[in-house]
Amino acid sequence: MSVASPRPCSTADLPGDFPAACALLEEAVAAQPANRAASLAFACLRCDPARALLIVVPAGQAREFGRPSLHGLGWSGEVLMAMPRGEADALWVMEQGLKSAALGGVIGIVEGATLTQTRRLDFAARGGATPAILLRARGDGLSAAWRRWRIAACPSAANPDDPLAPGAARLHATLVRQRGGPPGDWLLDLDAAGGVAVATRLAADGASPDTGPDLRATA
Amino acid sequence: MHRRTLGRTYGPPPEGPFALVERGPHGIVLVSLDAAARAAGLRSGQRHADARAMVPGLATAAADRAADLAALGRLAHWCLRWSPGVAVDACGTGLDGVFVEVAGSAHLFGGEAGLLADMRARCGAAGIAVRLGLADTPGAAWGAARFGNAAVTLVPEGGIRAAAAAWPLAALRLDPLTLARAARLGFRTVADLDGMPRGGLARRFRDGDGLGLVRRLDQLFGVEGEALDTVAPAARHAARAVFGEPVIDMAGVAAHLPGLLDRLAADLAAGGLGAGALALTGFRIDGGTTGLDVRLGKASRDTRVWARLLETRGLDRLDLGFGIDALLLAAPHVEPLAATQLDHGAAAAAGEPLNDLIDRLAARLGGEAIRVARPRARWLPERAEHWLTAQGAPPPAALLPGLTSEPATAPRPLLLLDPPEPVEATAMVPDGAPVQFRWRRIMRRVARAEGPERLAPEWWRETGRRVPRRTRDYYRVEADDGARYWLFREGLYGWEDAGRPPTWWLHGLFA
Repeated sequence: MSVASPRPCSTADLPGDFPAACALLEEAVAAQPANRAASLAFACLRCDPARALLIVVPAGQAREFGRPSLHGLGWSGEVLMAMPRGEADALWVMEQGLKSAALGGVIGIVEGATLTQTRRLDFAARGGATPAILLRARGDGLSAAWRRWRIAACPSAANPDDPLAPGAARLHATLVRQRGGPPGDWLLDLDAAGGVAVATRLAADGASPDTGPDLRATA
Repeated sequence: MHRRTLGRTYGPPPEGPFALVERGPHGIVLVSLDAAARAAGLRSGQRHADARAMVPGLATAAADRAADLAALGRLAHWCLRWSPGVAVDACGTGLDGVFVEVAGSAHLFGGEAGLLADMRARCGAAGIAVRLGLADTPGAAWGAARFGNAAVTLVPEGGIRAAAAAWPLAALRLDPLTLARAARLGFRTVADLDGMPRGGLARRFRDGDGLGLVRRLDQLFGVEGEALDTVAPAARHAARAVFGEPVIDMAGVAAHLPGLLDRLAADLAAGGLGAGALALTGFRIDGGTTGLDVRLGKASRDTRVWARLLETRGLDRLDLGFGIDALLLAAPHVEPLAATQLDHGAAAAAGEPLNDLIDRLAARLGGEAIRVARPRARWLPERAEHWLTAQGAPPPAALLPGLTSEPATAPRPLLLLDPPEPVEATAMVPDGAPVQFRWRRIMRRVARAEGPERLAPEWWRETGRRVPRRTRDYYRVEADDGARYWLFREGLYGWEDAGRPPTWWLHGLFA
């Protein structure tokens, strides 16, 4: 049912009203610690793959979070990783990255950013027109992000070659909150080439569910 | 070629008979003395017991050579204000001298006499008691500083022979053994040796280390050259600013910095060069220096970039002390840099700022904290990529031939755990896929699994390992909650399980 589209994905390729273009500052919250890779994959989808990517991992979290893998990212541009000592430095690095026009996206693992700090990031992103995605483990707290996503890994689509093997990765992306728009719920299929497609638009904001099965019951 | 060099000594301010002592092979000996102790007839190298017999009230403290050397190094850096060629005197008996090569810089201070006056005044203001000697050769300057008649001795050009005639042989920087032997033969002054036949002197005073009497004599008169080991590489491209009144706040430094940057940039532009590194040194009035250095990933002579880098590096954290009276901005490392057009084309605009960004981040976080990934031709997944420091990393195109950043045959996880974390796993058959595993205290049931992908250890690199690495069988598994993991079992049943049962590890997380 899913049709893979090459990146960068445009809104036209995706059924429904999935906001494919990244707002200036977004947050992605992993539903479980084991879904960190899923939230990172989602964050990468929001960035411009033709240009450099900056991933900011504070030194204290590198071991816990894991190390982004070049082969796993499959990023065509340069991948920079910054390992600042603390979160204050991490926010500074993100801000510098956003202000420079050299990057296709900035992904930061910053847990304790306050409303003021996220507002600073938002302003910096506005200046450089570079999207910024904060990866957080908890979805509470105030933030100036334009959208807040909750990302969970779902049982994958059927593998055409082997019924016992996992198929293409499937993410459950819940748009918890967005400024100036309704929340939403999507299932996204990632293909091996890094493409993404919306598998199913799930019920949201009181509208009737689409024709696809409601996987929330089974997920 | 004339070389006019200056040797200097300094010591603690005089207060009572005081000496630093050191434990020698035959007991405790005096190392250095203050003026009062010298006046009482004590001398360096004397036994402590003898000295106490002569001066019962002698106060002593243990000598700390490392601290002396560090202090002398700081002083030497401070002397960079007068010339880029400054060396710590390594040949004296104690660590007490600094060589300053002033061949090309005396005119900046109003000639040699003006330079000496400036040195004396500034050292005096910083509380450093100095004796200054200026002569054509390092050897003569060394002697003039120690055995000249006045605290400031200027040996005129070509006047070494006349000035040194009355100096004792100690002015030749000889080891004690040679000195004693010469004294036994009746040589007292440099003039005594000067007329002697060189062949006989060379035969009689043969030193083990080759720095014989004749050689020192030649170095004194400039017959033989002498290389100085300078404390900082002499930067050929530098700009300096000297202030009439000490600058005591950052606003003053910030006001002088643009002029320095512009002058250095103009200097480099004239040679078609760009700075690969910058070193800013502030000379404090109390005889110390303060400074910071930045490294650039790509040579540049854009003063705006320099200013921003220096600011990021911590310009506002410079320790100005009681004020600085000179600033030196040097480019210790330069590279050829062709003139470029500014802001020409989008491609150039997109390529250039990434280097600037990397430099800026590295200036604040340190170069080690900014990394870029490059694939490597290695078999083990954790080694198949290399996170290099981003400054000076080769461009992605310059990969090893035949190596691309394309994923290997099997999919690779987005996040690698490095090192892999041990898990407790259960499998239906010993060499099959796991059905459940416990990672970070949570039991996860496997819904679907794919594998194994067998990766043999890199046996061609494993020479000398006590415990050989074992074969890994990788499985891509999906837990029933949807999360996808990359697990491996280390060790093959039946082959590599002798004494060590195979173990399970979690190596990565898939999206």
